[in-house]
Amino acid sequence: MNSTSGQRNGPGRRILIVGTGGQGVLTAARLLCDCLVERGHHVVSGQLHGMAQRGGAVQSSVIVDYGISPVIPSGRADCVLGFEPVETVRALPFVSSRTVVYMNTAPVVPFIIGQQSVLQGKEAKYPDVGTLAEAVRAVTPHIFTFDATQRAAEAGSARALNMVMLGCLFGAEILPCTAGAFWGTAVARMPPAMSETNGKAFLHGVELGKALQLAEGRP
Amino acid sequence: MQDSPGVRACLLGNLAIARGALEAGVQFFSCYPGTPSSEIGDTFARIAKDADVVFEYSINEKVAVEIAFAACLTGARAMCGMKHLGLNYANDPLSSMPYVGVEGGMVIVSAGDPSAITSPNEQDQRHFCRFLFYPIFDPATPQDGLEMTRYAFGFSEETRLPVIIRPTTRVCHSSGMVELGPLPSQKNEIWFTKNPPRYVPIPVNARRMRKELTQRFHKAEELLEGSGFFPRSGNGKYGIIASGVGYAYATQVIEDLGVQANVTLQQIGAYPIPDGILSGFLQAVDSVLVVEELTPFVEDWTSLAAFRHGRQIPVLGKHTGHFPLEYEYSPDLVEDAVRDYLELGKRQKVSVTVPELPPRPPVLCPGCPHRASFYMMGRVFGINTVYCNDIGCYTLGYGEPLRACDVLLCMGSSISQAAGIARLTGRRTVAYIGDSTFFHSGLPALLDAVQADDQVTVVVLDNYITAMTGFQPSLTTGTRPAPAEQPQPQTTDDDHGRFSIEQAVRGLGVREVYSVDPFDEQPTLDALKKARGGAGVNVVVCHSPCVVNERRRGKGKKGLPYTIDQDLCNGCSLCIRMLGCPGILVTDGKYSIDGDYCDGCGLCAGVCGHDAIRQTVSESV
Repeated sequence: MNSTSGQRNGPGRRILIVGTGGQGVLTAARLLCDCLVERGHHVVSGQLHGMAQRGGAVQSSVIVDYGISPVIPSGRADCVLGFEPVETVRALPFVSSRTVVYMNTAPVVPFIIGQQSVLQGKEAKYPDVGTLAEAVRAVTPHIFTFDATQRAAEAGSARALNMVMLGCLFGAEILPCTAGAFWGTAVARMPPAMSETNGKAFLHGVELGKALQLAEGRP
Repeated sequence: MQDSPGVRACLLGNLAIARGALEAGVQFFSCYPGTPSSEIGDTFARIAKDADVVFEYSINEKVAVEIAFAACLTGARAMCGMKHLGLNYANDPLSSMPYVGVEGGMVIVSAGDPSAITSPNEQDQRHFCRFLFYPIFDPATPQDGLEMTRYAFGFSEETRLPVIIRPTTRVCHSSGMVELGPLPSQKNEIWFTKNPPRYVPIPVNARRMRKELTQRFHKAEELLEGSGFFPRSGNGKYGIIASGVGYAYATQVIEDLGVQANVTLQQIGAYPIPDGILSGFLQAVDSVLVVEELTPFVEDWTSLAAFRHGRQIPVLGKHTGHFPLEYEYSPDLVEDAVRDYLELGKRQKVSVTVPELPPRPPVLCPGCPHRASFYMMGRVFGINTVYCNDIGCYTLGYGEPLRACDVLLCMGSSISQAAGIARLTGRRTVAYIGDSTFFHSGLPALLDAVQADDQVTVVVLDNYITAMTGFQPSLTTGTRPAPAEQPQPQTTDDDHGRFSIEQAVRGLGVREVYSVDPFDEQPTLDALKKARGGAGVNVVVCHSPCVVNERRRGKGKKGLPYTIDQDLCNGCSLCIRMLGCPGILVTDGKYSIDGDYCDGCGLCAGVCGHDAIRQTVSESV
């Protein structure tokens, strides 16, 4: 008996969104689900988080037109949106050489690093972001790094980080849904006061996604 | 929730279960919150009025089950929600309910937590099927959750058996596609007809009921066979039986491996497993691989069925080492087992070297009143006192630097454990317990300590809310709107509609009761010193609201953020060694405060011996 490869050629997509509590990971996943369901797609989404506390590690899968399992198998994520460098690397088991990874280079430094050095007397530092990016690059060549928190701040608020990251996803046309269609869903679900900032951040992201794809010479 | 039959939506598993109950015309819902079940009750808390459902957050799971069962005796369709451990607390009423039997349908949803992600243990509630005669539904997806819940009420009425829905974390907390059904235009009529022989399981009745129970359980098995919750696909000779989220993984793995032609896949969606389902399946295949989390429940059931039907084919699973006996499964684990079973060769593993990464452990929030209580307690009771902790956010007092948790067992155990250790060691011990947990199961333990006159100081950490499970109200939340100023320690039961812990414990015979705000340093230390030197049981109630809930209520932070004066700070590290507040950062030996994260509680300023920590002054001053 021969088995075929696990990756299918159809339009199904497995997206993994990772970051820390308070960065808007779960909201991003929810908006993606809503938008794709509105367009008739079959969506499954799984959450993995401890207490969803600010600063805790958060992972959320969005699985589009790809069966009923809410969990992405090892190495089978089509795209990882890494809202935070350490959390992006923590998601490496889901990454293969075909996975596209967008990694925000702005760290959310765990308070525990400084406190451990005091309580346990051992020197601890946040890992070098360049080294973290290299760890991802050792698995997939399709990694794109940029300071998304800075882009969000330029758009008006660092809280719009998730819009920059989602913009990348749509700029790169990874999902069977256009950026315009997504924005239509998203804007209806956010406080009107945030729509201008979020819109700017999303457009930043879309342009970034397009530019990065072109720079790599991918179609 | 609207009446929109045929609409397809992507719903969280817990919401899909709530929707199923609404579509079945549920009339009563009670629950005690517990991860991963909480969103079911929270949904009913929101919609109960509009949906004409009588709702309560119960004091504990035993009460929740009893009151829901009483509701069903009036003919209402009743539902009851809890996590796996709640079922243990409710075990006493649960054991006689199938004997008495229901009038309106009764459905208990008890969410399981394989891998003990948010619990002190993992537990397989499916054993309640054989243990106490409960039909149990085992959803694999949110769609299953909706359909099974909707079905379960009528099924319960037909068999007169209360039933259990047992979703696990991956079903509760995943979102999936569901097709909504219509909401009912009519609900059950409410009545109660006296009929003691029917409702009173005294021995003479219980023995009669036992015989009827066998018949009703048999009927349940018959009905389940036609329920549609045992779909079978494919006609290959390799049999795979899967239950719960294991079924979702198995479908994916079979498709990913492209082995549909070789496999017959059988979902087990409910228990008791109808014999017709199993015997038919066993005839169709040459061997079986069982995919199920927790105990080898289906596996043993299948082996027995194979033996009884003289169809002795290999049954593989946990007993044969194809799957582990512990923890939740993953798609990888299922793929490895299926590959082994079908002799497909090992999965190609990409060797990914993940560098060592800093952890992000859960921790008490900046401004959390529990930190203040632990800090004050540490100053008075010292490091040699035995601290018995309980279930809630305050369990995070475990470990460095707060060291507020030496033993822990289950809901309400802090007081009994403190009493037991004090009684045997002859030294005063401390029990930490939150407001909701205190009322849940702390009261009987406190009575026990009072009657034995144990040397125990019970510290009730009253933050006016059940915080850890998602901010459900507790008895001290109060019904009236909170005053604009900060809540003061209350001493009467008429303080903003809050139930008085002080009055409760006095009523139980505790003579020495102190009320403090743990951020109010001197009065707190004075009270704790008295408690330390007291005789017998005394109670200190620490009142201060959960800071996260205060922000949720739009009340903002406790105060302006604090900063550290770099000229005055000599890096003595006392603030971190005493408090471990995540708002205090250490970068290259320099101490600073995350002003955005700081809640302005000022606890650290009181700790600092160099006067280096000061509150920022607003620009307008």
